[in-house]
Amino acid sequence: MKVTSRGVITILVTTLSLGAVYVLNPGSATRLMFSLLTFAGIYGLAAIGLNVHFGWTGLLNFGHAAFMGMGAYVTLLLIPHAAGREGEVTTTGLPLILAIFIGIASASLLGLLLGLPAIRLRGDYLAIVTIAAAEIFRLLVRDLEAITGGVYGIISYSDALQKYRPKIIDSLLVDMDISVNQTWVGVIAWLCIFAVLLLLKRLNSSPWGRALRAVREDEDAVRALGKNSVWLKLQSFMLGAGIGGLSGILLAFNYGSLQVSTFVPILTFYIWAIMILGGVGSLSGPIFGAIVFWVIISETDKIAEIIFENANGQQLAGVRFALVGLLIMFLMIYRPSGLLGKKEELLLDVK
Amino acid sequence: MSNSHLLEVKDLNKSFGGIQAVNISNLTFENNVLTSIIGPNGAGKTTFFDLISKFQSFDGGEILFEGKDISNSQPYKIARMGMVRTFQLTKVFDRMSVLENLMFAGSSVRNDSFFYSLFKFGSQKDNEKELERKSYEVMEMLNLDNMAKSYARELSGGQKKLLELGRAIVKNPKVLLLDEPLAGVNPKLAEQILEIISNLIEEGKTVLMVEHNIEAVMKVSERVVVMAEGEVIADGAPNDIRADQKVIDAYLGSGNE
Repeated sequence: MKVTSRGVITILVTTLSLGAVYVLNPGSATRLMFSLLTFAGIYGLAAIGLNVHFGWTGLLNFGHAAFMGMGAYVTLLLIPHAAGREGEVTTTGLPLILAIFIGIASASLLGLLLGLPAIRLRGDYLAIVTIAAAEIFRLLVRDLEAITGGVYGIISYSDALQKYRPKIIDSLLVDMDISVNQTWVGVIAWLCIFAVLLLLKRLNSSPWGRALRAVREDEDAVRALGKNSVWLKLQSFMLGAGIGGLSGILLAFNYGSLQVSTFVPILTFYIWAIMILGGVGSLSGPIFGAIVFWVIISETDKIAEIIFENANGQQLAGVRFALVGLLIMFLMIYRPSGLLGKKEELLLDVK
Repeated sequence: MSNSHLLEVKDLNKSFGGIQAVNISNLTFENNVLTSIIGPNGAGKTTFFDLISKFQSFDGGEILFEGKDISNSQPYKIARMGMVRTFQLTKVFDRMSVLENLMFAGSSVRNDSFFYSLFKFGSQKDNEKELERKSYEVMEMLNLDNMAKSYARELSGGQKKLLELGRAIVKNPKVLLLDEPLAGVNPKLAEQILEIISNLIEEGKTVLMVEHNIEAVMKVSERVVVMAEGEVIADGAPNDIRADQKVIDAYLGSGNE
């Protein structure tokens, strides 16, 4: 692989961020690191999916949380779980791997169903429709309590995944204050990232990937050359939604209990921030974006504590949002192409 | 009977908020002819292109391409049937290389498909090689070969016109609709584009072109259609058009070059 200055900077920034975790958290850093990298893997995966939509095809999808939620809910409801206020237990279910595939397919299908009426809209209009659709999805899930458990959520499903946990994780982490369950989810998340990136690398350099980029650049010209741009956009929507679905499934297993409030719009905006931070249109950018983002999210509290001596939890949370907002502003002004994005292919034109 | 015409337009009309943009009762185009469409600004020339390529829908009328009714078709389907257009304001794929622009244009629907790309069925590699070869051929013809790997947005305005023409050529259609191929192009380049267009006719293609460069139009066209206020006011060989009083009044002016 060719070493570029972008690559060096990216590695440097990522290493420095992880180093900061050790400096700011003497004692508990290793435990934090495992949790952080798991979240980074899961969110990074979602950002990779979003990048197919926006970076490759130019589709402004602001409803990514719904695709993640669709994957999570469908998968969990197909395996043994307990749902709702009474915690009604369902002991039978499909094999996990099959449930996961159906979950991913359902997220893709949601992408198709949402895309069919909406995908002809351009730019901001698509953004408005997708964010509204994601909210409709979330409210439906909340109110269909008989099926989804509503606000009471779903519990007792983790075993389906944890029973496959290799013994080596337990023996390696013995006597360390680190969650083996979470570590196992993290390992799977990073394996998924690896697999998905291999798949996308193949597609990105293919005629199909080229066609998506052409759609991003100019739809009229695509149609004038005899290509069905609507179908290309739908395919892109389905692929990205499927990847989002997989990320949602992993997120559910990471939490151990599924709450519908997980899939609020802020989740989508976090994924957007990660994608921009990593570099829009860059294949592996979201991974580094996700790590740096999670360091920022988990460490801003520490920084806020240093700045404000007697702040309470709520005030600290406010400072965190302010710092994240500042970060995004600085990025947009000084490095809109993110860590790994190409300046020549900059998609977020900032004037 | 309608089969004898390549393209046939009947009672075509389109208006924007009460203003009549296009109103053509009957117009036919034959195979392997270079026809220029001229007329003052706002005469409806580009709208006419938009209508026959279905980039805009029309209020009434019928369009037959090779005898088939394409009135309710879609732009990409018309392009697949063999009628490909360019745009007055060039639409190149800015953040793709010149080579990619051309290869995308020439790539078949099957070659572009998701599963074909995912599994890289054996022939795709060959297809791509062939596409690359064809694209380089066209780039050499257009003097763009030294820009093959550059982003299309780095091209000059004239070069973008060339690239758009090149894309249409790689696509290899029966009919090319060229919307002001010479606009904003320097005289030497214009000469070159005209030569390429003439070669297309020699190869058996059909070209319809909207153009304001009267000198060039009169030189290369076999037939000239003059539009004004949405209607066809004259239609014939270049020399007849030059002498037509209606055309002189509406467009050419009394000076008449």
